[in-house]
Amino acid sequence: MFEFLFKYPLAAFSRGQLLFAGRWPWWLLLLLLVGAALALAWPMLRKRSKTAPRVKPVLIWLLQTAMVAMLLVLLWQPALSVATLRPQQNVVSIVVDDSKSMGLREGGETRMDQLHRTLNQSVISDLQKKFQVRLYRIGARTERVESVDKLAASSPSTRLGDGLKEVVSEAASLPIGAVVLLSDGADNSGGIDLDTTNQIRRYRIPVHTVGFGREKPDHDIELADVQIAQRVLANSRLSAQVTFRQFGYANRRARVTLKDGEKVLASRDVVLKADGVEQSEAVTFNSGNAGVRTLQTTVEPMDGEENRANNTLTRLVTVDGSRPKILYIEGEPKWEYKFIRRAIEQDQGLQLVSMVRTTQNKFYRQGIEKQDELEQGFPATVDELFSFQGVVIGGVEANYFTPTQQELLRQFVDRRGGGVLWLGGRAGLSDGGWGASAVADLLPTVLPNRKNTFQRDPANLELTPAGRDSLICRFDEDPARNVDRWKKLPYLANFEDPGTPKPGAVVLAEFSPGGRGKFPLLVTENYGRGRTGIFATSGSWRWQMSLPVEDQTHEMFWQQLLRWLVTGTTGPVVSSLNKSVFADEQNVPLRVEVRDKNYIPTSDAQVEAHIMSPDGTSDTVPLHADAATVGLYTASWGAVKPGSYVVETVARRGENELGRDAVTFRREDGVAENFGIAQNKELLEKLSQQTGGRYWRPGELGKLANDISYSEAGISIRETRDLWDAPIFFLAALLLRSGEWLLRRKWGVV
Amino acid sequence: MRLRTVFVSVFILLSLWTALYAQRRFGGQRPWWYDEDDDMPIPPDAKEKTEYAFARLKYPSYGRPPDSIWAMRGNWTIDWPKADRHFAAGVRRLTRIHTRSMEQFVDLDSDEIYNWPWIYAVESGHWQLTDKQAAKLRDYLLRGGFLMTDDFHGTFEWEIMMQSMRKVFPDRAVVDLDNRDAIFHVLYNLDSRFQVPGVAAISQGVTYEYDGIEPKWRGIYDDRGRIMVAICHNMDLGDAWEWADNPNYPEKYATLAYRVGINYILYAMTH
Repeated sequence: MFEFLFKYPLAAFSRGQLLFAGRWPWWLLLLLLVGAALALAWPMLRKRSKTAPRVKPVLIWLLQTAMVAMLLVLLWQPALSVATLRPQQNVVSIVVDDSKSMGLREGGETRMDQLHRTLNQSVISDLQKKFQVRLYRIGARTERVESVDKLAASSPSTRLGDGLKEVVSEAASLPIGAVVLLSDGADNSGGIDLDTTNQIRRYRIPVHTVGFGREKPDHDIELADVQIAQRVLANSRLSAQVTFRQFGYANRRARVTLKDGEKVLASRDVVLKADGVEQSEAVTFNSGNAGVRTLQTTVEPMDGEENRANNTLTRLVTVDGSRPKILYIEGEPKWEYKFIRRAIEQDQGLQLVSMVRTTQNKFYRQGIEKQDELEQGFPATVDELFSFQGVVIGGVEANYFTPTQQELLRQFVDRRGGGVLWLGGRAGLSDGGWGASAVADLLPTVLPNRKNTFQRDPANLELTPAGRDSLICRFDEDPARNVDRWKKLPYLANFEDPGTPKPGAVVLAEFSPGGRGKFPLLVTENYGRGRTGIFATSGSWRWQMSLPVEDQTHEMFWQQLLRWLVTGTTGPVVSSLNKSVFADEQNVPLRVEVRDKNYIPTSDAQVEAHIMSPDGTSDTVPLHADAATVGLYTASWGAVKPGSYVVETVARRGENELGRDAVTFRREDGVAENFGIAQNKELLEKLSQQTGGRYWRPGELGKLANDISYSEAGISIRETRDLWDAPIFFLAALLLRSGEWLLRRKWGVV
Repeated sequence: MRLRTVFVSVFILLSLWTALYAQRRFGGQRPWWYDEDDDMPIPPDAKEKTEYAFARLKYPSYGRPPDSIWAMRGNWTIDWPKADRHFAAGVRRLTRIHTRSMEQFVDLDSDEIYNWPWIYAVESGHWQLTDKQAAKLRDYLLRGGFLMTDDFHGTFEWEIMMQSMRKVFPDRAVVDLDNRDAIFHVLYNLDSRFQVPGVAAISQGVTYEYDGIEPKWRGIYDDRGRIMVAICHNMDLGDAWEWADNPNYPEKYATLAYRVGINYILYAMTH
């Protein structure tokens, strides 16, 4: 209908420009329009009577003016300037998604069957009448095919972005007028990035997308992601953030299970949210002993589920067997010191070195490895302090530390990436002068500008919403029971007002000393590469003395708190991957950060990665310094075989080894296409909109050949097409005149 | 009738004599250590809230039921309050422990004991814990509390102490503490220790009481090798603290007693 009324299809208007082909200036048209309107109004104004209603003459005037205006516009020769592809001189690339997800059966036929049927219904022949047609299949790789019959939905993955880039890059040597992408939009390479979109736009090639598959399944639960820390300390409490969505099972109960091989590490029942709503649930578990864990997270299949292969995701976790060293300095003997030591002694994953000032001139040292360790007091050199991963500062005045030591402390957090925790006490926090110290900015709170903030009074405590989610404060896997356990904890023996949390700091727990309001008790924040925290009491020892012998609350709290303090503290060489499992993806980007012994990033190191493959063979890959980021080294490596890989990175400067690090990853095949099986219409629509194409349903493709002609890509010609003879104008004139005639007949002469 | 008159007269005379004998300055010929002063003034900062206070354990005395008239001042009070306050003053002066000047009484019948992770039991050779009290003491020690026992002598008192201690820990051995144990080095190096006598022994020119000739530094360990109970047998550190300000009491004994006591507190606060 649109094309009948306006002479040309909508695509011509949306991609073309409207203009006046006449030679007369446009201001003359405006002048004549205004003159005509006034001239037509004059008789009405002249005959105006006080009794006659005004509406009728105004309506007649409007119809007359519209008629004259339309005639004047037609005199100026309205036209459409539009670029069109030259017949038979341009190439249209038909790109067909040949991944396994196109083989999914819906309504009695597979998506690929539907695609075959659609293309064979004269779509290709129509296109061939106007263009040269090239056919491509896109999957894990992109290649040209001669016939649609060669497509069998067999590729284990879909890389739409890479494939489109490859097809579009042919525009450098071929006059590509348009690209037609037939796909379900299920991409498992991370979507179509901005770089790909920009490349397509540079060639001005419109991408027309044709969507196949249902936009949502009837009955399915699909895991979208599982986020787990890639490295943890042995026997740490870990949280897996499991994200999934479901269709057809709203409000039903499902079980989320985490397994290491056949061993169930944790499971949790959840109530499913509404259809299509993304749901995220945390499952906590213990990392166990040192080694590499292959963890499988599963939402157990429900009855009648269409696709059960998308209920499980695999993640690798490297459990680090090292024992980070923490230095605890205490300014006076206190019970908290003893009980913290006892709690950490039970933790095989941590090493606590402590020094407590027993008299004015003596420190008692515990956990030292050599007799002269810390003999001179708190470390005063980089070598000495940076050998620790965490520092706990008890009731020690800030001015006990020399300016050099305070600066070292800052570098320890900022550059080394260590953790520092301050405890409340008689000489702690603001009572110890830390608020006015040179390292006050390290603290996660703005300390009160006064003394006597430490009180030996009882205080009750409770978790904040952030604390309920924190692994530091987790005593029970069940969140509700955990909150309850915190409420039932014995009161603290003392507390100190830690002031106001800084922006970015997180308050995990609060204390309330009867009727004096609430104060932050446990506050954490990230600072530079490291992290800092405040535990505003030295009275948690009452949890140990007031609870039954077998109760482990006090021990768990301190073990979890100090593990948090050091878990992110790395060595001078840190290798990382963007993911731990590469599903149907062979390209593994390696990334290594290298620092010298003072933890200053260095770009003059020789960095090599030794990669051990699942079959026992190894490969050595040199990494190259990144030009933009000092200390960053990168390389890319192809992992062909499925299985587990170990990457050990070594950085050297001359003969000296700066450090080494190991990371693991897993390659899997035939997994990716089980996920994201619903048609990703959003992706296809967005792609076509951004490139000047259009999203099509399979049933609409009859108009594709005609529509596709309007393109500036390839070999095109810009035409100016008259619009004055469009039927819409004739119809409009007829309506205006007959409307006026009918009104005058009804009202008499106006 | 005559016999009854004699008995009554003797009873009255005996009562008068004991009443007079109990008066402080009676006679003037008593030994110096009879001047045990129970009326030490309460220190002005007695109510200060501190990290540590000298916690004296109240316990039932052997052979004297807790509700009997003889239990009004039991063995647990021996040397109180001078020993407690003298020692507390020493701890304040010689260490950085935030210490209260006034002692704290704790018993095994309430949960108050859990607020005081270091307790002192004097004359434990005269204690007699009930099963319930022994269970509470065991619980207290296993949670992290520390007990120091002192001022009991010889085989007989040892056996009485052990009768209750076996109720507390039927399956844990009492062992001689090794000189290398941290408890003897946490602040002062106490490799060379000697018997610290009570004032009664001093007045007789010896350092021991009964057959307790050799001082025994003993203890009970927990499963992780930490001392829970420190047993000072055949010595009287409490007297040494009490009489530390008296020129008649030899300084070397008082010095050692202070050092041992401080080491025991610091050990309890660090292990």
